[in-house]
Amino acid sequence: MSRVHTVLGPIAAEELGLVAVHEHIGYGMPGSELDTQWWKTPEQRYGETVPKLRQFAEYSRGYGGATFVDATGICNGRDVDYYQSLSAKTGVHIVAATGFVGGDTALRFFAEASVDYLMRQFVHEITVGIGNTGGKAGIIKVGVSRGFRMKELDLRIYRAAARAALLTGVPIFTHLAVDVEPALAVFAEEGLPLDRVLFGHADDGVSQGKVNEEAILGGGGRIGFDTFGYDLELPDPPFWGRHRRERLEHFLRLIGEGHLDQVLASADANCSPLGWPGVEGHTVNYIYEQLIPDLRQEGIDEATIHRVFVTNPAEFLTLTTN
Amino acid sequence: MLKDPTAPHHPQARGGPLQRGHAHTVLGPVPADSLGVVAVHEALLSVVPGAEHGYDISMDRADIFEVLAAKLRAFKAAGGGTVVDSTGMFHGRDVPLLENLSRATGVHVVASTGMGPEENLGGYFLTPQTNPPTPWPAEKFADLFGREVTEGMVVPRVERRGAAGLVATTGTRGGLTPTDESLFRGAARAAVATGVPVSIRYGADAVAELELVLAEGLPADRVVVGDLDRAGAVAAGWPAAVAERGAYVAIDHVGRNDDDAFVRDADRAALVAELVAAGHAHRVLLSGNAVGVAKGHAPYELPYAHALTAFAPLLAARGVGDADIQQILVANPRDLLAVR
Repeated sequence: MSRVHTVLGPIAAEELGLVAVHEHIGYGMPGSELDTQWWKTPEQRYGETVPKLRQFAEYSRGYGGATFVDATGICNGRDVDYYQSLSAKTGVHIVAATGFVGGDTALRFFAEASVDYLMRQFVHEITVGIGNTGGKAGIIKVGVSRGFRMKELDLRIYRAAARAALLTGVPIFTHLAVDVEPALAVFAEEGLPLDRVLFGHADDGVSQGKVNEEAILGGGGRIGFDTFGYDLELPDPPFWGRHRRERLEHFLRLIGEGHLDQVLASADANCSPLGWPGVEGHTVNYIYEQLIPDLRQEGIDEATIHRVFVTNPAEFLTLTTN
Repeated sequence: MLKDPTAPHHPQARGGPLQRGHAHTVLGPVPADSLGVVAVHEALLSVVPGAEHGYDISMDRADIFEVLAAKLRAFKAAGGGTVVDSTGMFHGRDVPLLENLSRATGVHVVASTGMGPEENLGGYFLTPQTNPPTPWPAEKFADLFGREVTEGMVVPRVERRGAAGLVATTGTRGGLTPTDESLFRGAARAAVATGVPVSIRYGADAVAELELVLAEGLPADRVVVGDLDRAGAVAAGWPAAVAERGAYVAIDHVGRNDDDAFVRDADRAALVAELVAAGHAHRVLLSGNAVGVAKGHAPYELPYAHALTAFAPLLAARGVGDADIQQILVANPRDLLAVR
């Protein structure tokens, strides 16, 4: 049986349709909820979010479904009952994550927790549910703290995530693919096959030259080109932006080198950001409005597009049975 | 038209001359001389940041209310008037809960803004989404804390409520980190701007850290220095030094007799008697650092009235007069909490 956890319950992987594998309904650093400059009324939040998801569903009709994987970790404004209402009303499947964007987004309670406690937290959110929502996490988020160096807390979270992934069968995706060697060592020690790990943000502007693609790909890991749309051509690009052409060529190069089965793509957009201004006009629909047309223009065929956005993520998200 | 959720909730929350002589409670300003016996350094609901998301942590609101209400009623029955929840804005503070507890029990509750030490902060303040991720400076903390007085305390992403009555921060035990220093300076600036007092639980050096907040132009009698019954503070003579500098001395672990980091009650009583004899009765505050409900850390079951019921008699036995005891339990917190 091929199952994927969405916030409204398990669905067959065949029902996922087109998958945006690294997105955010709304992301805010822990503590940003105290700063009223970012607050929005519920009307505003739904108003900014629902049309984007409905458009995403509409664009995805031909793929048999639309799936939005939310990469917002614990303490970052993850809001599962809100996701459930959005999913129910728009028809977009939403996969929620357990885990943390990085050690520096884990609040003190978790920063001081043992590997075993963190593992139990992740397993609980995958097998029982997140908070009182009943919604189960379908993926585990881990990541590298600011500074491009893996910290002790980051690695503690990676190890707990590896153990929880092995026990429950959900995959792991990472915030940043830099300083990957310690992560690869943890996964090897824990016995987690690397095709269960998506090393994300390998395409962002500030990570270039710091990602050991050979080690990731050679080990069978998956590589995320998941900041598509954070282009330096924007009027006010974020610091992690990159020239559009350069990112696209990087992506095409990996496909050309035979790594099609190991690449995934997404836009990492916020429907309605929670603790930062976001990037005006950048939405999950960049995938349809810019990226897929760009790929077609480069001569990428529909089978390849299907592989990147449908088959690869379906294989990745499907719960493994051990 | 629905209201702007960031707008001030209580008209009284706005600063101004009407508040002079009044303390900000969660139900609005009250004349400071009606606060009665005040426990200045206590916690009502205390949640280690993030613990509310812990899979094994129950946040049953009805249970929490019931436990806290019973403790506040016991405090009142023992002669208590006001509990100051000095946990700041990011350690479980739930303003509507505090309001309803105050309404239900008749105990005045003063809530605090502020944060600290650094390890209790969220990444928003420490590694913001800027390049490089520069931690927040003092002026930004001053603005964040000050608005919790002038515009009202936040219910995160929902609304502002009444005014904070105190800015509370704590230093890292090993010594202030640069962000701790920003928190201390920011707290002092917010107090200067709004007229509420500041509480600092010192990190490593009570006197130097007091000087840090005084350097922001805050009068010494607007500051309470907490944790002065730590063994190191007593050995260093900091309680008297803080009093001489004109700030309030909080002997605020009254009832704790099983922790070598602190002196015992007998020593606390001797210390208070010495301070009174040295003419500092108007600078001493007593409290227990009781925790009403603890989430994510060990419970600490101490009645809020402990200083009043169990410790005050020890002072009397050491010759501290009734007038001085009343000064310490009633008049000093009244003067501290009255907004200037």
